Amino acid sequence: MKTYIAQRLGIAILTLFGMSVVIFLLLRLAPGNIVDILFSAAGYVDPQARQEIMRELGLDQPLWLQYVEWIRQMFSGDLGKSYRYDLPAWEIIRPLVPVTVELATLSLIVSVVLGVPLGVISAVRQDTGLDYALRVFSLAGLSMPSFWLGMVIILSLVAWFGWIPPVTYVPPTENFRLHVVQFALPSLAVGYRSSALIMRITRSSLLEVMREDYIRTARAKGQSGRIVIWQHALKNAILPVVTVIGIEFAFLIGGLVVTETVFNLPGLARFLVEAILWRDYPIVQNIVMLIAIVVILSNLVVDLLYGVLDPRVRYGN
Amino acid sequence: MRRFRYTAAALAIAGVVASGAAPAGAETPKAGGHLNVMLREDLSQGFSIHETSTISTVWPAMPCLNNLVIFDPLKRVESVDTIVGELAEKWSWQDNYRNLVFFLRKDVKWHDGKPFTSQDVKFTFDMVRGAPDAQGKLRLSPRKDWYANVEAIEAPDAYTVVFRLKRPQPGLLAMLASGYSPVYAAHVNPAAYRTGCIGTGPFKVKEWRKGEFVDYVKNPDYFVKGRPYLDSLRYVVIKERGTRMAALQAGQLDVSFPGEVTKTFATQMKKAVPQLVQTPVATSVNENMIMNMKKPPFDNQKVRLAISYAIDRKGLIEAVHQGGAVPGASMAPKPYGVWGLLEKDLTALPGYGKAADMKTRARKLLAEAGFNAQNPLKVEMATRAIPLYVDMASFVINELKQVGVEASLKQVETAQWHAMATRGEYQIGANLTGIGVDEPDANYYENYACGSPRNYSFYCSEQVMKMVDQQSQELDPKKRLQIIAGIQKKLEEDAARPILDWTLDYFTVWPHVKNLVPHNNIYNYGRMQEVWSSK
Repeated sequence: MKTYIAQRLGIAILTLFGMSVVIFLLLRLAPGNIVDILFSAAGYVDPQARQEIMRELGLDQPLWLQYVEWIRQMFSGDLGKSYRYDLPAWEIIRPLVPVTVELATLSLIVSVVLGVPLGVISAVRQDTGLDYALRVFSLAGLSMPSFWLGMVIILSLVAWFGWIPPVTYVPPTENFRLHVVQFALPSLAVGYRSSALIMRITRSSLLEVMREDYIRTARAKGQSGRIVIWQHALKNAILPVVTVIGIEFAFLIGGLVVTETVFNLPGLARFLVEAILWRDYPIVQNIVMLIAIVVILSNLVVDLLYGVLDPRVRYGN
Repeated sequence: MRRFRYTAAALAIAGVVASGAAPAGAETPKAGGHLNVMLREDLSQGFSIHETSTISTVWPAMPCLNNLVIFDPLKRVESVDTIVGELAEKWSWQDNYRNLVFFLRKDVKWHDGKPFTSQDVKFTFDMVRGAPDAQGKLRLSPRKDWYANVEAIEAPDAYTVVFRLKRPQPGLLAMLASGYSPVYAAHVNPAAYRTGCIGTGPFKVKEWRKGEFVDYVKNPDYFVKGRPYLDSLRYVVIKERGTRMAALQAGQLDVSFPGEVTKTFATQMKKAVPQLVQTPVATSVNENMIMNMKKPPFDNQKVRLAISYAIDRKGLIEAVHQGGAVPGASMAPKPYGVWGLLEKDLTALPGYGKAADMKTRARKLLAEAGFNAQNPLKVEMATRAIPLYVDMASFVINELKQVGVEASLKQVETAQWHAMATRGEYQIGANLTGIGVDEPDANYYENYACGSPRNYSFYCSEQVMKMVDQQSQELDPKKRLQIIAGIQKKLEEDAARPILDWTLDYFTVWPHVKNLVPHNNIYNYGRMQEVWSSK
């Protein structure tokens, strides 16, 4: 097991190195840089002033030197300075992390709490009216983008009740009730979409497992339907669901751009898009690296969970 | 340094102190309270107003700072006559409008407790104009050209400042009254304004949470006694337009963002919340066509004119803005601006008459330039990839199609837009231009002067520049108005940068917000000194 983890970590480091090169180059391949944008915002261009700012920000250096400098900064725990805000990048990124992690976690909880039981019910009641209803429900979830659902929620609330959730972030330490209200709707909007996916995977996986011989054997031995499903079938059907949950979590960390924008939550994804538009390289590079780390770690956790959930899966030897 | 002695008798004092201005309305102002104000994006350069040209910086940064002079916050229409003192107690034109002398208040302190003096003024404007001996340096100075006529700024004593001009320029005062002309502290590194704000203004910055909000608290040492009325302000950044409007409608915001509420939104909101107070005002932003005169076919005046004739201004106003804009030439039209042409003069200009007649003229001009059904003019229309621009460009493309011009749309990312336009890497473009102050000098030297980086069309007319210089130093307002009318006509006849319309804003506040009078220029009414809440 230890060898396996060490191997995976080694691969993860290599992947991160590759990612860093790709992120760095792709960013610089996009036309324009922060200096163009500053001039754009100022509506004025002076070639000499442009050159001076390029020098000030280190953008006049050769690309390889800029890359080495970034890597050096990362290893020394300094993520560089935001071009746009003139402040240390980590100082800007740090407050965004808990918001996104909380939103992603809550959304995932909603999706699992909703998706797994509904998937089980749908599989158990295969081809009944309830199954069809649940399949329509899940299909609707997959078809409706969460940002659209979010916008509909906001507009409906304001039209019917003249109320919307708080538009400035309320930390839980400041007002827990308001904090819960603020996160409830976006979590439901995002969680609904993810739950649809989890429900469908649970259903199909469970249906497959329920056709296995050992399930028939368990039933023949007189085990109750509930025990057969929840203890035997679901335990074996859950592996693909865990994979999807891992992928979803990784996606949610970086993919909540529009939800964060619609609900005005100061999270990573919204800020990342803003930083890309501003070509704020230090912010973009470091946020994307952070997301890459989360993706790699969540994959690792999923892989390790396989071993826990399925004794047949063993690593190391 | 030269010493100045001005006797009271010699002074033609033009100003009064802002604190003397009586608040509008019958209600007695109430101290205290808090307002949440809309912000559509984060401050792009922090509080460094001198380094940006966007309302997204000026609006939230104004409460922290002060100008020498400012347009009376309680008067909607801005003109030289509505200018009141802020840091300057009084001012005087000397030597036939070649010296502008400011007498500063002696009771002003910076937010860090240091005293405000004439050195701060000299420091600021030497820096803005890029004087060789300037003590400070801006990363970029977009309004450097506003001060091109300033020969020197002198501070003969701690409370007197003299702007010494190369030639008379009565319009300089209006430019100094713009929200774009605050005074920075000489003892603070100008770069520090990108991350914080040490001002003299009515409010002190409490916290700027990036991408979220800017919090202000009342400045207890503010030099205008009894002001500001409010205890605190919060500028809330909301990127999504639908959410912004919902937040205003739900009462989470008390004040809209200047230039943000279109007629359509205004109608919807008023229907949902009838008690909202909406004031239609001009935004000082015009929609225009830029045509690259360096390259064919737009080096041909007939082709440019044909384009101008082809676009139905009234149709654009109705279709794209649902009536929330007004026709005008290069200066803001009356009654929103002081210098604009009258309607009867406008209708005589290319593109402002009856749409069918104008299109016939356009076809004729195109034919004269060698373009017809067999040999149609094919162009690529560039515009910024944001809905405001794209909607206008799409309408224009359809108009051009009706006179036989085949135009395709090229959406350019914001990061590239100005750089592309300045370098002339386009054929024709649908553009928006914001004018910082309703002052011809600010507009013409920036957007039409030969060689100016924001003269995107590369229009260069010796005759027009002569007229621009002439109006700039004309002391008689009536004569100046006449010259400016001539410039406006000439620019439209040359199709230098055909103006399509001037957009309107339906500035919206909740009824408890008092004394926040929107101006016909989005950049100049954000100080919040006189604003109070009846809640």
